[in-house]
Amino acid sequence: MKRYVRPLAALLLMALAALVVSACGSSGSGSSGNSGSGNSGGSTSTSSGGGKSAGGTVQMVMGVFPDSLDPQFGYTTQSAEATWISYTGLTTYQHANGTAGATVIPGLATALPVVTDGGKTYTVTLRKGLKYSNGAPVKASDFTFSFERAVKLPWGGSGQFMTPVVVGAAAYAKGKAKTISGIQANNATGKIVIHLTAPYGAFDNVLAEPALGLIPTGSAPFKNDPLHPPPGCGPYMIKNVVANKSFDVDKNPYWKPLPGIPAGHDNVDVTVNSNVSSNAEQVLNNSADIFDWADSIPGSLLPQIQAKASSRYKLINLGGSTYYFFMNSQEKPFNNQLAREAVVTGLNETAYSRLGGGTLAPACFFLPPAIPGHPSGSCPYGTPGTGNLAKAKALLKKSGEEGAKVTVWTEERVPRLQWGTAYTQYLNQLGFKAQQKEIADATYFQTIGELKLHPQTGFADWNQDFPDPVDFYGVLLDGHAILQTNNENFGEVNDPKINAAVSKLGQVPVTQLQKDSSQWQKIDEYVAKKAYVAVFGYQKFPFFASDRMNYPALKVNPLYGWDFTSFELK
Amino acid sequence: MSTSSPRETAGTELTLDLESGALEEGLDLGPGASPWRLAWRRLRRNHTALFFGLVFLLIVVLCLLAPVYSHDIAHRSPDVGNITGTVKVGGKTKDIVSATGIPIGPTWDFSKFFLGADSNGRDTAVRLLYGGRNSLLIGAEATVLTMVIAVVLGLIAGYFRGMIDGVISRCMDILWAIPALLLGITLGTMIAVGGIGPIKGDHLWIPSIVIGVVYIPYVAKPIRGQVLQLRERDFIDAARQQGLSHTRIMFGEILPNLSSTIVVFIPLILANAILLEAGLSYLGVGVQAPAPSWGNMISQGLQFIPAAFSDVLSPGIMLVLAVLSMNLFGDGVRDALDPRSKIRIDH
Repeated sequence: MKRYVRPLAALLLMALAALVVSACGSSGSGSSGNSGSGNSGGSTSTSSGGGKSAGGTVQMVMGVFPDSLDPQFGYTTQSAEATWISYTGLTTYQHANGTAGATVIPGLATALPVVTDGGKTYTVTLRKGLKYSNGAPVKASDFTFSFERAVKLPWGGSGQFMTPVVVGAAAYAKGKAKTISGIQANNATGKIVIHLTAPYGAFDNVLAEPALGLIPTGSAPFKNDPLHPPPGCGPYMIKNVVANKSFDVDKNPYWKPLPGIPAGHDNVDVTVNSNVSSNAEQVLNNSADIFDWADSIPGSLLPQIQAKASSRYKLINLGGSTYYFFMNSQEKPFNNQLAREAVVTGLNETAYSRLGGGTLAPACFFLPPAIPGHPSGSCPYGTPGTGNLAKAKALLKKSGEEGAKVTVWTEERVPRLQWGTAYTQYLNQLGFKAQQKEIADATYFQTIGELKLHPQTGFADWNQDFPDPVDFYGVLLDGHAILQTNNENFGEVNDPKINAAVSKLGQVPVTQLQKDSSQWQKIDEYVAKKAYVAVFGYQKFPFFASDRMNYPALKVNPLYGWDFTSFELK
Repeated sequence: MSTSSPRETAGTELTLDLESGALEEGLDLGPGASPWRLAWRRLRRNHTALFFGLVFLLIVVLCLLAPVYSHDIAHRSPDVGNITGTVKVGGKTKDIVSATGIPIGPTWDFSKFFLGADSNGRDTAVRLLYGGRNSLLIGAEATVLTMVIAVVLGLIAGYFRGMIDGVISRCMDILWAIPALLLGITLGTMIAVGGIGPIKGDHLWIPSIVIGVVYIPYVAKPIRGQVLQLRERDFIDAARQQGLSHTRIMFGEILPNLSSTIVVFIPLILANAILLEAGLSYLGVGVQAPAPSWGNMISQGLQFIPAAFSDVLSPGIMLVLAVLSMNLFGDGVRDALDPRSKIRIDH
């Protein structure tokens, strides 16, 4: 009898241990980074961390580390939510909830740009007495430095918003000029004059991008420096960056509130943990204060959150995000339109919504509802949420691409990994030979943004930089915006009709967009028909905070999510 | 009582030391009983080891029958999910994956998601068995790789000694100094991206190779120690004097005497290899999705606790059972073959 006791006891103990470990869950997951996410704003993913309570400091938990905290390079939502309040541009956005938060206001300039010369010349004057977070004075020529740096690195939006738009920027980008001739800055008067190659309707919004947030001339090298963000001029400053782990967003001691741009109340310590379930539990249990809005709360926790914390949890449809699978229109098999149509025809968007915890509204059009030009008609390949697999298989057979090998690129964190897995399974069901390739979240978009990789298909998302269709088309689907590195047009779409529309309609000022929205609608319907992308939904985002926060005072910006200047501990 | 010496020609495997306790109660040696027969008798009397050996065998058989279960009973393949489908359980229609992404729990009906579904609507029981196949296969391949390379290296190092031994032993020391999991993660991450030669990074051979390499020093060093002892024996001198080549001496004379040690190591390495594979797959550097393995099933299921326990519990229990049973069986084999042996795998 004695002989059996020890092994049986060991067996029972191990089973009990397995139960206890399972019940408690665990934290962290592999992948360094284990994902980056969302483009922008994109979201990024990252690593570990646990919340810690500290009086006077807001503890924020993020699922993925920003792709870069260098303002002239970062282009994911995690980067933008820290940089837009640390690096103010000549213009910026109102610190308000809802659509008011997308209103452009003067930033470091005394007023919105004066536009002359048929929309081709923008003139602003820098406010006097501004200082950076290191105490250095802000000069007009710093704008030129910041602009040139964003072109050189390059920032992901530069290919659409900067290089072809400003006179001399293209020559500078190619190394044919030492400076950008279209920008004149006078340090004595503070006057900055910017000459455009052609009228560009959204240029006021472009000036508000964190990438054009001013930094001191010479304060940063002409390469991405993700861990050593330069000084900036804004309510906050970024410090103590530990790669894939944490960073601090502290109040800028040299910031004096400007009209429409308040100072911050409390410092913010951001800890990164790729286990978003653990992050949500920390906020639920008040051991962390803010759950990053670009992460998804697992469906398994929603009943608890709704029962215990409904007064500090909201799911908000910002209306400006699209989640989709890109398909490389220059590479087999997706250079074949029938193959792309097959994918879109059989895609069951409801499945992806469920995988996303029910926070995704099934969709088929590229422009989301908050963007002028979003079509209201029916989808060309069936109602979103159904998916006709039989018809899709027939289309694929007709295309002759059955059996084609496909690599599906995906991030590692929930639910993006599940979306990637479901999409891979679906492509195999359709008749492709698909394999999944998971990339760490923090480096996902940089990896698939390397043009030489020519990724065939994979997950992508986009959250509006500003409420203008050119922000979507100009960066993601315009052939002119394709970059060698940090490319955002992952599908390498280069359609003359789209290129021409972006060029023409991009000249329309944001204030007059509604007038031309029908033309954007036609382009969006065209893109849906050509199946350049397989859209699967528009995301609603969780705004979840601890009991320590003054929740009613918290602001949600439609472009950048959490407004750190509204963070206030009770 | 005296110790009988091994036969001087090839084929003698064990030194039979009667003083060590080979005279067990009821163990009738009989005239000319071979050491293997003695060992088998000892093992047969160790009911615990036999029981757990059978448990492991049962797990292997179940996993090998994964295609049968998948095709004929569950009617679901391991890779195809049904996220928006429904299933009838006890007369009620339930979503396989709910609108908020919670997968269905165990239905205890073999044909309808016996252990429930995972977050992608795939049958957990089917994936458990296929995952077991992958985990066990990788464990077995890694074990074979470890044993072959380690025995060869241990033989060469112990036989030739000198500089050859020095080089091999230092390499083994370097590998041994790095914790197995850390080394596995490093190698797995490096190789998973680009693969090795024609082998792609997501092929199942990659984790086998990684794990196989990690455990080489754990076997090579004890083997080397035994070879150092054996090479001083008279029968090796006699073999040299007969003019046998080094290779013939190593593989014809010394290797057979190592067979009991090798046999003892196999189940221990196998258990550790299965465990390491689970750890690497959990961390994302072992078996790559969508291929199932117990480790990556646990990793993916963690996000859905407490709503969907079975996604984590079932692969966890299988892993515990497999490793525990192989460890206990391995202990029994070691006790049967050489009760004085101190062979362990220390991390």
